[in-house]
Amino acid sequence: MSADTKIAELLTELHQLIKQTQEERSRSEHNLLNIQKTHERMQTENKTSPYYRTKLRGLYTTAKADAEAECSILRHALDKIAEIKSLLEERRIAAKMAGVYSDSDPPRKTMRRGVLMTLLQQSAMTLPLWIGKPGESPPPLCGATPASSDYVAKQGDKVAARVKAVDGDEQWILAEVVSYNHSTNKYEVDDIDEEGKERHTLSRRRIIPLPQWKANPETDPEALFSKDQLVLALYPQTTCFYRALIHTPPHRPQDDYSVLFEDTSYADGYSPPLNVAQRYVVACKENKKK
Amino acid sequence: MSELKDCPPLKYYDFKPVEHVKVCPRYTAVLGRSEDDGIGIEELDTLQLELETLLSSASRRLRALEEQRQILTDWQDKKGDKRFLKLAKDPDPAATSRHKPKKQKLDVKGGHGPGPGPGRPKSKNLQPKVHEYEFTDDPQDIPRTPKNDAPNRFWASVEPYCADITNEEIRLLEELLKPPEDEAEYFKIPALGKHYSQRWAQEDLLEEQREGARANDKKKNLMGGPLSELDAKDVDSLLKKSESQHESQEDSCPFGPLTQRLLQALVEENIISPMEDSPIPDISGKDSNDAAGTSPRSQGKAFSVPHTRSLEARIKEELVAQGLLDSEERPGPGGDSEDEVLAELQKRQAELKALSGHNRARKQELLRLAKEEMRKQELRQRVRVSDNEVMEAFRRIMAARQKKRTPTKKEKDQAWKALKERESILKLLDG
Repeated sequence: MSADTKIAELLTELHQLIKQTQEERSRSEHNLLNIQKTHERMQTENKTSPYYRTKLRGLYTTAKADAEAECSILRHALDKIAEIKSLLEERRIAAKMAGVYSDSDPPRKTMRRGVLMTLLQQSAMTLPLWIGKPGESPPPLCGATPASSDYVAKQGDKVAARVKAVDGDEQWILAEVVSYNHSTNKYEVDDIDEEGKERHTLSRRRIIPLPQWKANPETDPEALFSKDQLVLALYPQTTCFYRALIHTPPHRPQDDYSVLFEDTSYADGYSPPLNVAQRYVVACKENKKK
Repeated sequence: MSELKDCPPLKYYDFKPVEHVKVCPRYTAVLGRSEDDGIGIEELDTLQLELETLLSSASRRLRALEEQRQILTDWQDKKGDKRFLKLAKDPDPAATSRHKPKKQKLDVKGGHGPGPGPGRPKSKNLQPKVHEYEFTDDPQDIPRTPKNDAPNRFWASVEPYCADITNEEIRLLEELLKPPEDEAEYFKIPALGKHYSQRWAQEDLLEEQREGARANDKKKNLMGGPLSELDAKDVDSLLKKSESQHESQEDSCPFGPLTQRLLQALVEENIISPMEDSPIPDISGKDSNDAAGTSPRSQGKAFSVPHTRSLEARIKEELVAQGLLDSEERPGPGGDSEDEVLAELQKRQAELKALSGHNRARKQELLRLAKEEMRKQELRQRVRVSDNEVMEAFRRIMAARQKKRTPTKKEKDQAWKALKERESILKLLDG
């Protein structure tokens, strides 16, 4: 089965799942409305009779079961989306590899900078949100949760890579993993900014994998960086990471961090607050480098 | 008012589902499409975001529902238990602050639309409010302890010690206070029986008689009845004879124990010397030839000696005066002090008396306390009733005030009456 037909099939399944979701939602709507009415009545009467208590308990139980069913079907739909995306990603990497190997091809057109930035933002935005079931704790690479020590980034994963520039300065750049050599423990990475057209071979110490899930501030605030924590954040409109302090963590799933970059051109040594997506904020390991 | 004791600490969350028509346009659009139109790849990103929004909202609802349901369950299990009120957060501010930001959030999302830059339109003026939202809406703060039933078990184990005293228990106490019927039994001093040596002798005799009878039985089989009857009579008379002998032996010595002892001591001392030469003082005034009267058996019936009692007393007096005898040595009544068993029995009885006296005093004290507590309980019950009355009156007046009319005279009077009654009961309780 070709990738295209597979994707088309998955899309159909997704469509059905979405329709089921809505069925589930409208089914539970009635009960939620009932709860609301009961709440209102209880609050105006300012007294909870055993009748209301029992009724409310029954309503809550039903609503809970409904919510569980809704969550499960939504998760299913999101899994489908992730599956489709991973297929698309495979296709992209394959295309890229093909491009690399055929030297005879005309050099790929450099992406216009603006387009690249939009792409980066888009990918930050669609980083899946991790929504655990009650009692589940966030996995590694969700928000501020670090990867396990033996984690190896996969091909195509975005990472922050510490590279030596031509002038000898060291910089953290946004890069994409090409391969990992298990015997030398070294990564081969591509600078995401293809203007550089550079491929770096770096030891794993110089690589920080980017988060693979957004942490949900509404359910897992502990998986976010907290205020005043030192991080590496992608400076807006660039592909480089710089040291920064968290100004405010996000409050809603689609929110960004607000960070203060270290910047000597400002009187207090920090830039005014700038927004950086969860995807491009990673822990800063080095305690001093300046 | 919402702090009423009989209200579970519910937060009355707003469980309104996400308005997908407003918040999730792409999702809504996809819903409207037929099977053939399907979904485009380019729509995936937006759809993902919208589905995430829905999922996030549903999970949050799930958690809140679970929490509220738990509160209801716990509250029902432990009705009126203030401990659980403390466990849960103050319901009021959480409830109100929870509603407003949520609506705000919906509005903001509605304006978002599909596919703008990441968080770009995030307005600065929204942040302070969002802040407040975060504090009240932190699900990590929700206490999950009620799931653990250890506290329940603990309180259940404590319950019997704190529960109200019932009439049943008072009755039990009164029952316990009644002196047991068999009490007198334990203070009885049984009459002194026969000395064991005599009893044994008698028993031996009976045994022999039985054996003899058995032997006779065998004989009887050979010789016929009359003889055995005769034999039995024989044995009876024999026994009677020996019994009379025993009794006479018992009564034979008319002298008191001290006299006997003294005499015995003197006799033992001179055991080697011939009886005739022994300088035994003729205290008793009886015939001196008769070897100091130590063998009354030989004479069959007891001789009567006058003044033995006064003699005994005199000897005792003399011995005490000589320092040979402690006067306190024999405190027992009627010279019974020699009886170790009796002494032990009396000692134990005294102990028992002291102990049961102490117990009775405790029980009486307990009964008194219980009765007092019962009285207080009754008062407390009345306080509760009048508390309710006061609340009722308050509610009526509040209702009147809400309707912007002054409370009627009747309502006011009722309120005052309820208040005064409560006051007086409280005074009684304190007094």
